[in-house]
Amino acid sequence: MAAIPTLLVPFDGQLRSRAALPVARGLAAMMGATVTLLHIGPQTISAAALVQRAGLAAEEAAGLIIDQATGAPARVVIREALARNAAFIILGRAGGEDELSRAAQSAVREVLLGAPCPVVLVPPGGGRDWALHQLILPHDGAPTSAAAFAPAAELAARAGAKLVILHAPPSDAERPTEPGSFAAPRYLDHPHQEWASWTREFLHRARCACPLIETGSLRLVLGHGEPGAAILDFLQRNGGDLVALAWHGRLEPARAQTMRQVVLGAPCPVIIFRVPPKD
Amino acid sequence: MAEKPYDGGGAACGGEIVLTPTSDPNWLLLEEGFAPLREHEIESIFAISNGYVGTRASLEEDSRFSQPGAFLAGVFVEDPDSMLGPYLALLPGWPHLEIKVEGQPLSIEAGRLLYHRRMLDLRQGVLWREWRHEDPSGRVTRACFLRFASLSDRHALVQSVHLTAENYSGRVEILASPTFPGAEHRFSPAVATAVLHAGKTCIALAAGACAEPSAEATVIQSANPAAGVRRRWAWNARLGARLRLDRPVVVCTSREETHPLASAQTRLADILARGVDALARAHVDAWSRRWSVADIRIAGDAEAQRAIRFAAYHLIAAANPGDEHVSIGARALTGEAYHGHVFWDTESYMLPFYIFTDPATARALLMYRCNTLDAARRRAAARGYRGALYAWESADTGDDVTPEAAIAPDGRVVAILTGAHEQHVSADVAYAVWLYWRTTGDTGFMLEGGVDILVETARFWASRATIEADGRAHIRAVIGPDEYHEMIDDNAYTNCMARWNLLRAADAADLLAKECGAAWDERARRLALDDAERAEWRRIAAALAVGFDPETGIIEQFDGYAALEEIDVRAHAGCATPIDLCLGPERTRRSKAVKQADVVALSAFLWDEWPQSVHRANFDYYEPRTGHGSSLSPAIYALVAARLGLAEKFLEYFRQAAEIDLSNNMGNAAGGVHMAALGGLWQSVIFGVAGVRPREDGVALDPHLPDGWAEICFAIEWRRRLLRVTLAATEPHIRVGVEGAQELRLALVDGPSCVARPGASYSIGRDGATWGAWREAQ
Repeated sequence: MAAIPTLLVPFDGQLRSRAALPVARGLAAMMGATVTLLHIGPQTISAAALVQRAGLAAEEAAGLIIDQATGAPARVVIREALARNAAFIILGRAGGEDELSRAAQSAVREVLLGAPCPVVLVPPGGGRDWALHQLILPHDGAPTSAAAFAPAAELAARAGAKLVILHAPPSDAERPTEPGSFAAPRYLDHPHQEWASWTREFLHRARCACPLIETGSLRLVLGHGEPGAAILDFLQRNGGDLVALAWHGRLEPARAQTMRQVVLGAPCPVIIFRVPPKD
Repeated sequence: MAEKPYDGGGAACGGEIVLTPTSDPNWLLLEEGFAPLREHEIESIFAISNGYVGTRASLEEDSRFSQPGAFLAGVFVEDPDSMLGPYLALLPGWPHLEIKVEGQPLSIEAGRLLYHRRMLDLRQGVLWREWRHEDPSGRVTRACFLRFASLSDRHALVQSVHLTAENYSGRVEILASPTFPGAEHRFSPAVATAVLHAGKTCIALAAGACAEPSAEATVIQSANPAAGVRRRWAWNARLGARLRLDRPVVVCTSREETHPLASAQTRLADILARGVDALARAHVDAWSRRWSVADIRIAGDAEAQRAIRFAAYHLIAAANPGDEHVSIGARALTGEAYHGHVFWDTESYMLPFYIFTDPATARALLMYRCNTLDAARRRAAARGYRGALYAWESADTGDDVTPEAAIAPDGRVVAILTGAHEQHVSADVAYAVWLYWRTTGDTGFMLEGGVDILVETARFWASRATIEADGRAHIRAVIGPDEYHEMIDDNAYTNCMARWNLLRAADAADLLAKECGAAWDERARRLALDDAERAEWRRIAAALAVGFDPETGIIEQFDGYAALEEIDVRAHAGCATPIDLCLGPERTRRSKAVKQADVVALSAFLWDEWPQSVHRANFDYYEPRTGHGSSLSPAIYALVAARLGLAEKFLEYFRQAAEIDLSNNMGNAAGGVHMAALGGLWQSVIFGVAGVRPREDGVALDPHLPDGWAEICFAIEWRRRLLRVTLAATEPHIRVGVEGAQELRLALVDGPSCVARPGASYSIGRDGATWGAWREAQ
């Protein structure tokens, strides 16, 4: 019997659950998963206090597993995600605060660095319901970012959502040299002809990387300018319910600039797939 | 599913094809294993072609990673829904085969790939494939394939399959298409035919088959009409059995035959009568003859050797001297990209290869421009000009098929201005006509139509340029090769090529009057060309504005270029995107960033117009401002760098040009190989490294071997003489063997010369910086 996946939604004073819960419910509906709302505090509290702390009305609590654990929030989240074999961790983030850049006291940052599964970061606000209609998958041409194709395409396929591959390579970055890279064309002899060919080839490669990608639901868009700004600009102009990012797993100051910018500025949740660096 | 016996199971094909891959690795392009993400590139790079029909190197059995296709030169289909104009018809892949073992299709995607290798045999023009596969049931089959597009009979294609049942006994089947949708299929003993239509062209295929040992041959008519008809050969194979199927396929079209089906059947019958092996041998002999002139041997740099042979292979494969109504598309017959459209690439980048190694093919390619001259006349007239304005993009008719708008990948609809404003193509065609004539001495071609091109393009420029109040002739609102700057005035490339066009047209009239007498008088009368018009061309040419600064030697790329924003293009070298995408179109337009060689292209094409110091000044000025956003650019920079003696720069640009198709991480070649870059690569060696300059009395050389190139050997034709040239770096010397009927003058640029007679070899050595004298070699 296949296990029912768990979506872990932690909450405490720092890890906010209000915005995260509708997203977790929406994802759970797509995936046939169970949402576990996990309170983390210095000590255990009664069941009634737990529900009250979650701020849930009775009908809102229906269908949820509500549990609690004690300890340092980030460490607990990582431990519980491992123990429960969580499919995703879904975290609400603080508005206007770059939690990924704060070196200390950021549970979000620590969870991201240690999570055994993809993490969904949900901005504050949002409605009571969330559904996936359009998934934005930024791509910079390197196989690393293409590693998010398969899981993102699976999500889109499950939701019957449109998958938009937003090709947005950094303008000052060198051309990717990893085998299998597919950057924007180096040569545009005659752009109207070249773009058509490149688009066809790009979508072919995307389908090779992930057979789940269906031609009809897939769209390729070229972003202009820096990737972070290009992604946010696209979201502003076209909307999007979820952004899927591939991440090398490094958060030193000069790294993951695009991810920081998107997490901070995106009006929709961002799911982060950690891709182990190649040897 | 209906099935009926088919008498093609053991037909004689004249014996097994006795071909083996070339043993010299310098003639082989290898791809080991199977990388799905690279498959489209491999299909283009390893394509086989003969200028009449080209076929991508897709897996015979197909896969979800495959993009099979065959293309016929000149067969275009209109697509009213496409913004990109007519496209080269995509024929279903004639080599498609399904192999079944015990009823299960053998697929690279199912079971275990034990060994897989494709080899493009450049010397023989043959694609080889070796595949050893364990199917999901554990049966191991070895499959070896070869295919070629005959260079000796351009209508003929050949495929051969060898199967070995390595660890089993069982039923093995091969099922072959063609199952072309909408085609009319017929089967007679030993021959299957299909007739289909692509646009206005009727295409007929006739396929024979020879199985060894004799197979049960059947025709399968599927109950599903869309599945079509297939031929099947089946064997009950014993352990270790080796099975063979040879398939000659003949293609004829209504473009060249009144009755294409009958012609295809007759040709196939002839091939079967002579034997497929005889066809294979004739094919290899034809390649051998072409290589005897076209090969460039580079000692000391294996990568450069591979690149230059790859370039020559595709150039040979792209052209057909027997067809004067087609030209070579930007991707030739190797892929769908660019829809088979013909650009200035052909005349400026590819044609010199044919002029110097296969003049008959060069002539046929120029005849395409003769045969489409009326379309160019109409185009000029439609814009209110005289003469002929060639299409920026053309297909079969010569009418312009450049779209006026296209959808960019960011969803914006962008106007395409090149069709209306990139007019230098007319001068480029004229340039190629002149180069062909003066190199081959083919005055017959000039009287047949070549001079018409020179005259009509000169007339266009004479009406296009306007003499203004400053007394100068200006050509305003054009686009030069640097397409980052549109609607500019007095583009240096356009104006200099137009000036050259005007002067050479006038010269051609003078020369033909002297050489041809009455024949020229008749031609001139038909062209309504008189002395006054020729004088007018010379007057306008002298007045054409070119922003040359005598102080610096810099030629301003267009009026106002010098005032644009400086941009450090080199800082963007190696970036993930071309510089115009980094900067955005507006900032690019306001900057000095140059897309591709523009003024530097003038150095490549019109070297003798300026002293070397001017070329050097312009190379130094424009190189740091050029983003090489076009695949046409690096090879031209390589050529000019070599002429300037900048050996390191030459190698840098030569390698960049070579990598356009052969690099394995750019995806550039998926839609077909870059023919202009390949032609440019050849030019960079012949005109750059060897410094070949055709002259009126012979050929001059100006060698600049880069470090690491110990020796290069090549051949060129000049007015029915064949020169076999060796340039050696150690104890620097040049050796030239002369073949043909008449003598010519051999020279070094700005150096000694000699009269060389046919049948003799001449050499010259260098001591330090000084060349000695030419000596007849013993």
